Amino acid sequence: MKRFRWLFFMTIIFLTGCGQNIPIENLAITLILGIDLDENNEFIFAELSPMFNEDEKKNVDTYVVKARSIRDSRKYFDALETGNVTAAKIQILLIGKKILEQKHWYRILDTIYRNPNFSLNSNVVMVDGDIRDIILYDSEEKSQLALHLKEVIENNVHRTSTINSTLITFHRALYGKEQTAMLPRIYKDKNLIIEGTALLDQNGKYVGDLSIQQTSLLLILRNEKNKELTLSLPLTSLKKDDGIFSENEISMEVFRAKRKIKSTYENGKFHFDIDIKLTGNIVEHLFPLDGISQKDLEKAIEKQLQLEFQQLIDKIQQNQIDPIGLGIYARAFHYDQYKKVNENWGKELSKAKISVNVEFIINSMGAVR
Amino acid sequence: MNTTQQAKINLLQYIFIIHGIQLGIGLITLPGEMAKIAGTDGWIAIILGGVISIIASVIIILLMKKYPNGTIIDLVAHYFGNWARKLAAIIFVGYFALITAVTLIHVILFIQLWILPFTNIYILFLLMMIPMFMLVSHDVHILGRYAVFVFFMSFWLVLIYLMPLKYANFLHLLPIIKEGWAPVLEAVEKAIYSYLGFEIALFLYPYLDKKEYAMRGVIIANILSILAFTIVTIIVFTFYSPDEITIFSEPALTILKVIELKFIERLEIIFFSFYLFIISTTIIPYLFFTVYCTKRLFLKKFHRLHVFIFFAFTFIYIVYIPPTFFQNMTVKNFAEKTGFVIGFFFSIVLWLIVTVLDLKKQRSLPK
Repeated sequence: MKRFRWLFFMTIIFLTGCGQNIPIENLAITLILGIDLDENNEFIFAELSPMFNEDEKKNVDTYVVKARSIRDSRKYFDALETGNVTAAKIQILLIGKKILEQKHWYRILDTIYRNPNFSLNSNVVMVDGDIRDIILYDSEEKSQLALHLKEVIENNVHRTSTINSTLITFHRALYGKEQTAMLPRIYKDKNLIIEGTALLDQNGKYVGDLSIQQTSLLLILRNEKNKELTLSLPLTSLKKDDGIFSENEISMEVFRAKRKIKSTYENGKFHFDIDIKLTGNIVEHLFPLDGISQKDLEKAIEKQLQLEFQQLIDKIQQNQIDPIGLGIYARAFHYDQYKKVNENWGKELSKAKISVNVEFIINSMGAVR
Repeated sequence: MNTTQQAKINLLQYIFIIHGIQLGIGLITLPGEMAKIAGTDGWIAIILGGVISIIASVIIILLMKKYPNGTIIDLVAHYFGNWARKLAAIIFVGYFALITAVTLIHVILFIQLWILPFTNIYILFLLMMIPMFMLVSHDVHILGRYAVFVFFMSFWLVLIYLMPLKYANFLHLLPIIKEGWAPVLEAVEKAIYSYLGFEIALFLYPYLDKKEYAMRGVIIANILSILAFTIVTIIVFTFYSPDEITIFSEPALTILKVIELKFIERLEIIFFSFYLFIISTTIIPYLFFTVYCTKRLFLKKFHRLHVFIFFAFTFIYIVYIPPTFFQNMTVKNFAEKTGFVIGFFFSIVLWLIVTVLDLKKQRSLPK
């Protein structure tokens, strides 16, 4: 009898949480949150949430409000929407380019990291244009916009053509002084297109874009080759491009990418020697390879890759940024020198000497000769 | 004055009770604290702190060997008389009660922040009270069984920390000793607080069935704690950039938000729920020995009454001074400093005095 008394007492206490249950129909689960500045440079917040009510015709709801901060925006969303707005399931955070052009804009994200309810695995994406175009994008056609965007990003990450920028990795790049942040870039043409990477400087300010191929090269430099990686190159050294076909085009499927970084400090300058060793199959070439030995082909590919890497590094140094994370090496191996320039690492890196040495090994030429 | 003849615990239970107390809140607060003081060299401080704690534990066992059939209170009574027994009991009651209450409140605040933001703190307190009351009402071998059970049920929690390893960069740890030894040594003091719990050997020793293994047991318990703390700290340090780690108040908890399995999101909530078991093995033995000490002072027969009185006092405390993280931290620092004094200085000084007294006695004995 005594035991049962305890059990009864316990059950009653455990029931306390049940008074506050919320049926899913009454929840507005935000899947996409967008932040941007409008024409008058005031913050606007946009969100997209699915509807679980069967009687509704639409299956997603989108709203745009003006507010002073993310948390502040919640009360306006609450005023608009059917259910309680919850931010715990945000899949994608869209940030307008206009915001990224401000210095220290990232303070607006504070609540995301401060409030334990937020998921830190949401993808952060830069919107080239107005976020309203993306959020209000014909929702009947793409009723699963959040899912669609998430899938596209995931596939591109899988193919090493965009970076996997979640809130937590983004935070590391923003606040860690030894590297600078970058974001996948989305824009609306006729469709929504996720393409390339936006580069940010040490203050989080937007400085430039990378194309898809350049993003892949950057990911090789970061040693972050994912499952698949295809590089396409024009081999101008072998054949001149004439006619409508790009007749010097060659594509390789790289299945092994190794990177080695050696760093030294000489004469008041950092030196970084980056050795890259790629192994891959030729999957496409639009010109005959008569009289060209495999060795020569490898040489030509190496030369072209070297050129493209160098262009990428020039771009990085011009903008005084460090998306590769070379600062991590500087800190680990030249701590005393690095400490002096910690606050201005991007500037210091622009003075550094970075040389890339590419080695390409052809594994197979494919099924046709 | 032997009060400990009835219940015995075996070596495994002895190891896991000590290890269980050591592995408490420290597992999630330690990486952040170390990073604040010593940067990414903090893990060295954790190992050094562990070594010091092993030395202190060894001295405690040497001390307890002088009077193997009683707890520290019996030992003090044996050498210094009845007034000393009362004094020792009062000191230990104060320390144990304080650290139990402070840890309990800390856990409740964590639960409220991370899992149940809308639940009233009193209800959380009552929920925690019930299992604690049930376990503490019994004898010490129940504590032992519980500690062993919880260890094997929850040591996978440390393994969960291996999952964010794919984002880790071990270069963050280099160079080792980047700012010299000074910040590391400063961090050692904080690190030692996380190893508090070995001082329970002062009370646990007489219950152990095979006393020849007491030394080995306490060392193993310490090594297990060192391993757990070091693994988690190194993983946290390699995950975050050294500049950003100090931005988070509990980096070791935030890191868990990264883990996402196909079938489950927000794994940190499940982690935290299991983590409560790990913390319970800190609170429950402390509570048990609080009650043990109060029983040595008065009303020996009414074990459960003492537990109730403790809960009543804690409840009044949280009603009158609604706890906040900051305020609880201040009290916790005080409790940890007390534990440091008791675990280290008190045991070492007492051991020296007792050794001298023994030598004198031997000499004065006629051959």
